[in-house]
Amino acid sequence: MAFNYDSYLRMEKMPTLWCWGCGDGIVLKAFVRAIDSLGYAKDDICVVSGIGCSGRFSSYVDFNTIHTTHGRTVAFATGVKLANPTKKVVCVTGDGDAFAIGGNHTIHGARRNIDITMIVVQNFIYGLTNAQTSPTTPQGMWTVTQKIGNIDPTFDACRLVEAAGATFVARESVTAPKKLEKIFKAALEHKGFAYVDALTNCHVNLGRKNKMVAAMDTLDWIDSITVSKKKYDAMSEEERLNLLPTGILHHDDTKDEYCDLYQMVIDAHQGKRSKITQDDFEKKI
Amino acid sequence: MDILLEVIETISLKILKIKGETMAVMTAPENTPVWVDTARCKACDICVDACPAGVLSMKPDAGSTLGANIEIVALEACIGCNECELSCPDFAIYVAEKKEYKFAKLTDSSKARQEAIMNNGYRLPEDYKEAN
Repeated sequence: MAFNYDSYLRMEKMPTLWCWGCGDGIVLKAFVRAIDSLGYAKDDICVVSGIGCSGRFSSYVDFNTIHTTHGRTVAFATGVKLANPTKKVVCVTGDGDAFAIGGNHTIHGARRNIDITMIVVQNFIYGLTNAQTSPTTPQGMWTVTQKIGNIDPTFDACRLVEAAGATFVARESVTAPKKLEKIFKAALEHKGFAYVDALTNCHVNLGRKNKMVAAMDTLDWIDSITVSKKKYDAMSEEERLNLLPTGILHHDDTKDEYCDLYQMVIDAHQGKRSKITQDDFEKKI
Repeated sequence: MDILLEVIETISLKILKIKGETMAVMTAPENTPVWVDTARCKACDICVDACPAGVLSMKPDAGSTLGANIEIVALEACIGCNECELSCPDFAIYVAEKKEYKFAKLTDSSKARQEAIMNNGYRLPEDYKEAN
């Protein structure tokens, strides 16, 4: 016996349209295993994905799924979650989807701390549309829109969502699939906005022109830029310069979850309580 | 007959659920630690890189897009670490569960074979001789 992924996949859509060695498949696998080990029924999960290679996710998994417009995953997921607070809603988006066109949705999803698990399949480039600069492309890399070399400063999405108010922030790469599965489990179990930065390889569109042609070359590069949070914390500022910490970076269970707050609105409308005032909140500004 | 089979399947699934076992299990080929589905393999080399025991290797395959396909070259050397299965993006590799198969220990000859495979571009050299 072995783990049977097929029962969680839409087999008529297989094989995946992803390129050979694409880390998206590893993310998909880790996600399916995490769901299985937590024992959720297939009908209790809703996967919302946007546009991009990661957008294919919702076509491949056999849960409730929505394939939405570019960057709007969190907006759609917010609606799904508020209408079905007992269900588990998972956003799967790419770095361009979540931080360029959908940047504001991501920020406000995190601010509300709504119980959504957001998985960003982070490959440092717009892969599907052939290698345009994305918000997370490292400086100096070749992209099709900056053939002379990318000058746009890259930004750390984990710090963005943490500052915006997300209560679970983690990062892991596809080079450590077992850890990735663990992180997905922790994120799915967390009540509140859970953000997972899943670093993955796009050797076809990022690697090809940046001296990382094979899948393993790009994966080795990802390995070289990541370090566990424990080691990262012990490092000096200088040593941290070109490294990204992995693991659970931020976890806070004290903040109100948005669906719970929304219940106050429902109750007020149904006459079960008085109108909401500032006295209902500890933090007033 | 079909209806009867369907009823039997529904009942057995329900029994599995009651016993608290996971639904996502599949029957493996008998007495096999690791097996591959060559129709799903896209020849990305990741599994060969992940294996510590030189079990997997790429073989030339004219029918494949990248001209190669996965092959098990040392079945009995599998240590059951599951790394190849977890890092295969295309659901092409499966490893048996630890409680159902007694896996081998990692030996020096396994390590040597793995090194030879890695040094030869993810392919086992044709004239490779096992170290004893």
